[in-house]
Amino acid sequence: MNPTRALVRKEFASLFGSPTAYLTLTMVALVTALIFFDHLRLYNQVLFVYASTTMGGFDTDSIPDYINLWDTVFFPVMETLGLTLVGAIPLVTMRVFAEERSRGTDELLISTHLTPTTIVVGKFIVTFAFIVLMMAVSFIYPATAITEGGIGIQHLAAVFLGLTLHGIAIASIGLACSAFTRSQLVAAVSGWALAFVLWDFGWAHAFVSEQTAAVLDSLALHQRYGSFAEGVVSLANITYFAGVALVGMAVARFSFDLRRVGS
Amino acid sequence: MAEQAVQPREEARSESGVGIRARGLTRRFGHRIALDRLDLTIPPNQTFALMGANGAGKTTFIRLVTGYLLPSAGEITVNGVSPAADPGAVKRCLGFVMETSRLYPELRVRGFLRFMGGTRGLAGADLEVAVEAGLERFQLGDVAKRLIGNLSKGFQQRVSLAQAFLHDPPLVIVDEPTGGLDPVQRGYVQEVLQDLRGERTVLLCTHDIAEARSLTSRVAVLASGRLVATGPTDDVLADDADQTALFRATGEHPR
Repeated sequence: MNPTRALVRKEFASLFGSPTAYLTLTMVALVTALIFFDHLRLYNQVLFVYASTTMGGFDTDSIPDYINLWDTVFFPVMETLGLTLVGAIPLVTMRVFAEERSRGTDELLISTHLTPTTIVVGKFIVTFAFIVLMMAVSFIYPATAITEGGIGIQHLAAVFLGLTLHGIAIASIGLACSAFTRSQLVAAVSGWALAFVLWDFGWAHAFVSEQTAAVLDSLALHQRYGSFAEGVVSLANITYFAGVALVGMAVARFSFDLRRVGS
Repeated sequence: MAEQAVQPREEARSESGVGIRARGLTRRFGHRIALDRLDLTIPPNQTFALMGANGAGKTTFIRLVTGYLLPSAGEITVNGVSPAADPGAVKRCLGFVMETSRLYPELRVRGFLRFMGGTRGLAGADLEVAVEAGLERFQLGDVAKRLIGNLSKGFQQRVSLAQAFLHDPPLVIVDEPTGGLDPVQRGYVQEVLQDLRGERTVLLCTHDIAEARSLTSRVAVLASGRLVATGPTDDVLADDADQTALFRATGEHPR
């Protein structure tokens, strides 16, 4: 068996052998469903109010264009889901490297044919696969309902891609944080802090020049993710998320070198 | 008394076995020196005890052999190969038995052995044969489907031993193999180690003088990162008076 493949299989077994994976999946699916149905209820109420007050029923032209399934339900739900992932994913990534270090099993892994690079790649692959599963579980409610509302499958695919890439970027940040500590708590808190800072740099606009603000905005997760949510798939945004993932991997790999030579 | 810090000139290399050689090996952690210009030769096919108090540098030495750490100065070679320069070559001939707490409690015994065999390049029928042989050799058949975390410490140590022998390595590093075990399990582990004498190179880290005396042919004693004594076990650990003096120097009480 290829050593990396053996590691990937073991990582899956470890991930699904712990309650954290199931709890996180359930939590994200539950939060998404709650938010979705709440927005759907609000949308139905607004429609009812318009229909009853204009006396034209649901077919009337008097319902404004901005009261639609997309703007009133789907987009806000995706926005909230994006932020929910920032809170949820570090809970999954916190244990990946930190647990190995705290148990001392990282030494055992290093004594095998696995190299630091294959260890990092194996662990990232498994976490990314879990993120895709998490996205599928959380996306299924809104996607099923929204297709009934007339939103195209291509648009939904773009949103799903954006959501997944967004999740992968947060996971990469969380994994990089996990690689530098033996404390899962420190890994989770530092992952949250970095992901929240990267989420949106709107708060910094008051303190920096316009040019700097533009640069910061181009680094923000929110803007890139929002573009996918609008149905736009651009190579620049895909490259951005891939870049965040690669930087996360490189930083995690660097942690092994640092440990070998450092104090 | 012990043969004091001898510096053998012969190369620790053999056609039939794997030796370890350290020359001027130094490892610093910030201002603290964990290993200080260590010269040590571990000959092939011998069971070699590495002794010393906590913080003496034993674990650092093991980590340098496995390639987990890099030396600050000096060199270490396994069968003439530096773990830093060619980690793959060193890992191929290395089995590592860690303390029992350093396993995966969420994995089942057979699954863990399959995983460890896979990480050592075993596949297909070879992997299955190695896993079954490991289960049989270390009498783990009855607990093969149980979670490692639910096993007693003695059985966890057997699992740790089994994973180290899956790929039949010529060099086995054993770190505190009997710490915290009951007398029956301790006896079992010592029996396993006894069977390895002359069969392959075994580097045994232990605090237990009786264990070192019964299992090893040569010994090195470290204190504050320095080699204070090395030589045949029977000479270094010859009588009680010398042992007490030796271990008092290392800050450790013999037991």
